[in-house]
Amino acid sequence: MTDFSNALSVAASGMSAQAQRLTHVAENMANTDTPGYRRKITTFELDRGFDATQGTVRPGPVRLDQSVLAQIYDPRPPLADDTGHFDGSNVDLVVELADAREAQRSYEANLRIFDQIRQMSSSLNELLRR
Amino acid sequence: MDIRSTLAAQAYQPQRLPQAAPAQEDGGAFTQAMTNFAETVAQGEMQARAAMTTGADPHALVTALAQTELAVQTAVTVRDRVVEAYQELLRMPV
Repeated sequence: MTDFSNALSVAASGMSAQAQRLTHVAENMANTDTPGYRRKITTFELDRGFDATQGTVRPGPVRLDQSVLAQIYDPRPPLADDTGHFDGSNVDLVVELADAREAQRSYEANLRIFDQIRQMSSSLNELLRR
Repeated sequence: MDIRSTLAAQAYQPQRLPQAAPAQEDGGAFTQAMTNFAETVAQGEMQARAAMTTGADPHALVTALAQTELAVQTAVTVRDRVVEAYQELLRMPV
């Protein structure tokens, strides 16, 4: 059973990592209009904490997108400089949508694997039952 | 309570078992399997309790419950086979 339970853990770690990624996408989308906000980029790394044989994934340290912030012209806010511009965020909604879709697809793939492992072990037990 | 704690508990389990179940002359493997099964079920219950009370990671809960399900299925199947074999013996004409 250890192979099955290891595989279950790996699939669950993938789902957890994708959920974390979706959290960051949601944060980016929510802060689209926040002045000076830099979009968060989720990184993934191999988790070899206590057992090197287990290939679970975990979200790595969050990186901030260092691309230039959008210059927004609006002289009214107190943030605006002499020319009437202030720093917006560098979030691109289309990119965030694509990232969210990618996270969803990856989550689904991990979920299918999880379900398949359960089905495989169930059919193994079924074989024993006959 | 996240997935890593579930994984850690699993990784430590083999090292903890020898003390929990001292090797006997016969039935040692079976005792060990039963201890393993009991540990898996207890861990599933612990995760379920943590998820309900403290809002722990649902992925850890799903993993623990799936593993518990597999363990219970295996145990039930093995028990059925053992009982079947015993009844086979009872039916034997003497």
